[in-house]
Amino acid sequence: MTIDNKVLENLEKLSMIKIEEDKKEELTKQLTEILEFVDNLNELDTSNLDSSFSTLAGGTPMREDIPDSNIQISKDILSHAPKMADDFFIVPKIIE
Amino acid sequence: MFETVIGLEVHVQLNTKTKLFCSCPTSFAEHQNINTCPTCLALPGALPVVNREAVIKAMRFGYAVNATVNHISNFDRKSYFYPDSPSAYQITQLYRAVVQNGELFIDLDNGTKKRIGITQAHLEADAGKNIHDGDISKVDLNRAGTPLMEIVSEPDMRSASEAVAYLKKLHSTVRYLDISDANMQEGSFRCDVNVSIRPKGQKEFGTRVEIKNINSFKFVASAINYEVQRQIEAYEDGIYKDEVIQETRLWDTDRGVTKSMRGKEEAADYRYFPDPDLRPLVVTDEMIEEAKKMPELPDAKVKRYIEELKIKRVDALIICSDKELAQFFEEMLSRGASAKTSVNWLTTELLGRLNKSGYSIIDSPVSGKKLGELVSKIDSGAINGKGAKDILDVLMEEDRDIDELIESMGLAQISDDRAILEIIDNILSKNQDKVEEYRGGKVKLIGFFVGQVMKASRGSANPQKVNQLLRERLK
Repeated sequence: MTIDNKVLENLEKLSMIKIEEDKKEELTKQLTEILEFVDNLNELDTSNLDSSFSTLAGGTPMREDIPDSNIQISKDILSHAPKMADDFFIVPKIIE
Repeated sequence: MFETVIGLEVHVQLNTKTKLFCSCPTSFAEHQNINTCPTCLALPGALPVVNREAVIKAMRFGYAVNATVNHISNFDRKSYFYPDSPSAYQITQLYRAVVQNGELFIDLDNGTKKRIGITQAHLEADAGKNIHDGDISKVDLNRAGTPLMEIVSEPDMRSASEAVAYLKKLHSTVRYLDISDANMQEGSFRCDVNVSIRPKGQKEFGTRVEIKNINSFKFVASAINYEVQRQIEAYEDGIYKDEVIQETRLWDTDRGVTKSMRGKEEAADYRYFPDPDLRPLVVTDEMIEEAKKMPELPDAKVKRYIEELKIKRVDALIICSDKELAQFFEEMLSRGASAKTSVNWLTTELLGRLNKSGYSIIDSPVSGKKLGELVSKIDSGAINGKGAKDILDVLMEEDRDIDELIESMGLAQISDDRAILEIIDNILSKNQDKVEEYRGGKVKLIGFFVGQVMKASRGSANPQKVNQLLRERLK
């Protein structure tokens, strides 16, 4: 995969990060280098491996369906939110 | 001529006590953010632990629809950025779902059954809720992490009515299995519809449009019919390629149209990958055994009602379509009421009255046992239908003893031959001229005699008995 202007533009949109015009060339070069580095992994033949291959044995642990709640925890978290009101997290308007 | 092709994606909220990956209680309409914790708020370092019960409920659904229940399945991350998901991804099952290759049979109006394939059913975490308020949006994450099972059908449906029949069947199946409240208004049973058209005979599918945001069976039908019409018109006008594109549209209840969400979704890139926080989901033998324990399902019930109780297929379908209705019916039978009389008294007399007074079978003021008792009185001839209707009217208002009502309302039916014959003889002797006419061939007069006898008994004589005894006397 090559990083061109179109890909960069889409990445801007997805990450919601504005990339300044004069930074674009440098960033394209860096992203290309990163991809090349990661591409080294393709030298390994993984066609015989399951996609969920793990060095850990067994399945994911499970728990019983027993409720447990501590209102203080959610209160603490809410109090640390950048913005909150009436126990709601407040974010900028997300619908036009 | 065109053929409509429909596939459905249904999100069912599982009725577990806790969320899918943390022990927060699942809730509806509670104080905002009260049921949250570091895991469902996606605080760094908090790890998900799978709710065993949610897995069992999904497996139970799998067995109920003759599906393959995978003994090993996986959780994947679907990345998206929106304030209703604090982790900025949803944990779901894309590559290997717990349930695959199932089927559901729908009953068509012509009396035949049609098979609808179920591609897969997978477990995933629900998102929170946003409330838009002026310049800000308020975020409530009580629902974030609630277990959902998404059931994906094959594109096997060919009309809006087939789609609705499938949805209703699915709805009653999850209700029978007791794995979800499946309340469409409260959002515990949500439906997305994929619709396309193609000229009859064409093999390739047309362009598929997804319609979201439909919260009733009625709207599913309206949305499909509107969308099919829109696509056909575009085809006939030669603008199919421009007008019908693969996109998500919203159903607008107020205007009765589907609206494009074009532009909002073009940047979507979900970057699916296996969730590194969760090892494969491996189900144990005990879980399989537990999941296979299930109640009698609608299809089996319909079959039993027809074969053992000898009731009509159309009646059996109505009663079994709803778990509570079937339960009510069986309570009536447990009080000794006959199946045949019970069908009529449940589906016509009681449901009619419930409808009129805004009740449903769940909050019916008359219980199954009570109605069963009333019906058994009709069966035994203790009261007639007219009297039973009067009693049912009273029972709708207040819970009273039936025997007492029969007594106080003077509804006891005379089935005793001697008492009826006494009235008959009295009537016949008063109407000698008509008796002669009857014997002379004017047999229609039987109606007159029955009427007179019923009137003389003030409606308390058993009409069948009256009829039978009159014919004998008039021979």
